[in-house]
Amino acid sequence: MIRLENVVKYYSRRGETVTAFKCEQLRIEPGEYVAIVGPSGSGKTTMLSLLGGMLSPSAGKVWLDDTSIYDLPAADRSALRSQRMGFVFQTFNLVPYLTALQNVQIPLCLLGQSAADQERRAAELLGRFGLGDRLHHRPSELSVGQQQRVALARTLVNDPRIILADEPTGNLDPASREVVLDAFDAAHREGRTIVMVTHDPVAASRASRSLTLREGELSAADGEQEANESPQRLSA
Amino acid sequence: MIWQELRSRPWAVLSNSLAILLGVAALVAIRHITVHSEQEVSQQLAQLGANILVLPQEATLQDYYAADQNGGTIPEEHVSEIYLAGLTGVEQVSARLNVPANLGGHDVTFTGILPQSELEAQTSWQTTTLFTAPKDHEGCTKAKLSTANLESPESLVTHRAIQNLKANELVLGADVAERAAFSAGDTVELLGRSFTILGVLPATGTVDDSRVFAHLHTVQDASGSGPVCNAIEVIGCCEDAAGDLVPKLRKLLPSTKVVTISQVVQTQVGVNRLMANTSWFVLVVLVVVGGVSLAGAIAANVRERRREIGTLMALGATPRFVQRLFLGKALILGLTAGTLGCVIGLVTAILAGPSWAGVTVFVLPATSFIAVLMATALAIVSAWWPARHAAALDPCLCFQEV
Repeated sequence: MIRLENVVKYYSRRGETVTAFKCEQLRIEPGEYVAIVGPSGSGKTTMLSLLGGMLSPSAGKVWLDDTSIYDLPAADRSALRSQRMGFVFQTFNLVPYLTALQNVQIPLCLLGQSAADQERRAAELLGRFGLGDRLHHRPSELSVGQQQRVALARTLVNDPRIILADEPTGNLDPASREVVLDAFDAAHREGRTIVMVTHDPVAASRASRSLTLREGELSAADGEQEANESPQRLSA
Repeated sequence: MIWQELRSRPWAVLSNSLAILLGVAALVAIRHITVHSEQEVSQQLAQLGANILVLPQEATLQDYYAADQNGGTIPEEHVSEIYLAGLTGVEQVSARLNVPANLGGHDVTFTGILPQSELEAQTSWQTTTLFTAPKDHEGCTKAKLSTANLESPESLVTHRAIQNLKANELVLGADVAERAAFSAGDTVELLGRSFTILGVLPATGTVDDSRVFAHLHTVQDASGSGPVCNAIEVIGCCEDAAGDLVPKLRKLLPSTKVVTISQVVQTQVGVNRLMANTSWFVLVVLVVVGGVSLAGAIAANVRERRREIGTLMALGATPRFVQRLFLGKALILGLTAGTLGCVIGLVTAILAGPSWAGVTVFVLPATSFIAVLMATALAIVSAWWPARHAAALDPCLCFQEV
């Protein structure tokens, strides 16, 4: 379970303090599929960074189960991400000089697995995403859709319980978008928690709950308040 | 990951480490030539020992072995005067006269020397007892040259003198013999006279290799120079004796220039000192230019890989892992540049040593190892701050657009 408690993130810009994100209470239950929607600059990425243990809040606590993640040292937060989280990026963020196989191996390498295990697991996953014949291709040698599938394989390779996705369908054609959303559906069915930041209404509609961010403040998405909002789960 | 990144940008790798590579190459080359040149000088000093040169007043000195090729002459009778003076510590006296000649189609230096047997004969009928009872200076402990074997032609190399040399005999320097394909026992024509080759000297790496040695009087007759020589070598029993002999010889032969071997090799010592100082300068350049250049390159690399670093951190890389990524890269760059630079420096020193400094250069393992180690350490130190900066980057950079 992910829980935000009185979390505020301020930025100082030219002597002026700007509230980038503010949330009194938010609970995301294990196995939930949550879409975060909102206009550009509304704080979606800040929220994702806070949930991922990558951006210390100015105030408040971010809990992962019983652990206040920002009370952990940086190295432990890295370990937490490595063991329990997977990230999907809008621009895939594949390492350009590594092959598809090597890119997928990264999380396993960071977990300290043996090279043989890394290779076996990465190849298996890429095969499942239909990239068995592209293992040794560099990202520049792959189509956009193939790159996103490599990125998805990298996200899932360490079997994360939480997937944090930043505009995962933003750069994709409809067919590739379906592949990604199907993969998220499958991950959701497997009981993984998914938090997806998106502008895409089609992608948001696949989530079990949508939240809207406006000027850094969180609320239930338009028209979904009754269906999704629960005082226990959301108070923003 | 480090290898993959380096392999993907070979030109960047080369340019990043070029300053270190060139610095190490220059340092290794200079140090090797300097060390071998210093060894050569000390060997010369040890070999030539307490030699003193008596030269024409106008002679200038650059090279001990070529000191008798200054063109000016002094009377041969100075040799007898030195013996007859009965100076303490004189062990051996050798006069030399050089004339240009052609042997077997090759230009050579025809050098006249006075064999020791003849000197002994000259001095004995002039009633001196120098050779039968040489006068040692007080406290001299050095082995006496008078006991050395001067019978073999090779003694010209080792002791700068020969016991016997007939009027029609020649001793060839190594280069002359090799170029003209002559060997001991051959008969050759030189300056219209017929000579038998007594022997061939081993290579010395000096001008002696291109000389043809003959009896002094033969060279005087053939060249028509009269009873003169270009230089007289006086060999003392030890360094102390040489120091004492110089003022006495100057007093005895006021129209000549009297110098010790150490004064002659001073030029070479000066060159060595200059090269040693240059190597320190190169070291400073290596540290400053190489270090700054690599630090700048790694810093630029960190800047252009910010999103990659952020992504790695999002995937679970610790700051320490990120730091090690860049320090590892610096280690590989430093080691590669240091090793390549060392190899280039060694090849340069081995190829250029004989022509630049007249020395044969061999690999000095300790110097080479230290140079590679230093380059590696320099690379790591240079990359330390950029690597720390990379480790401190905000992982949220992974969300930034390209």
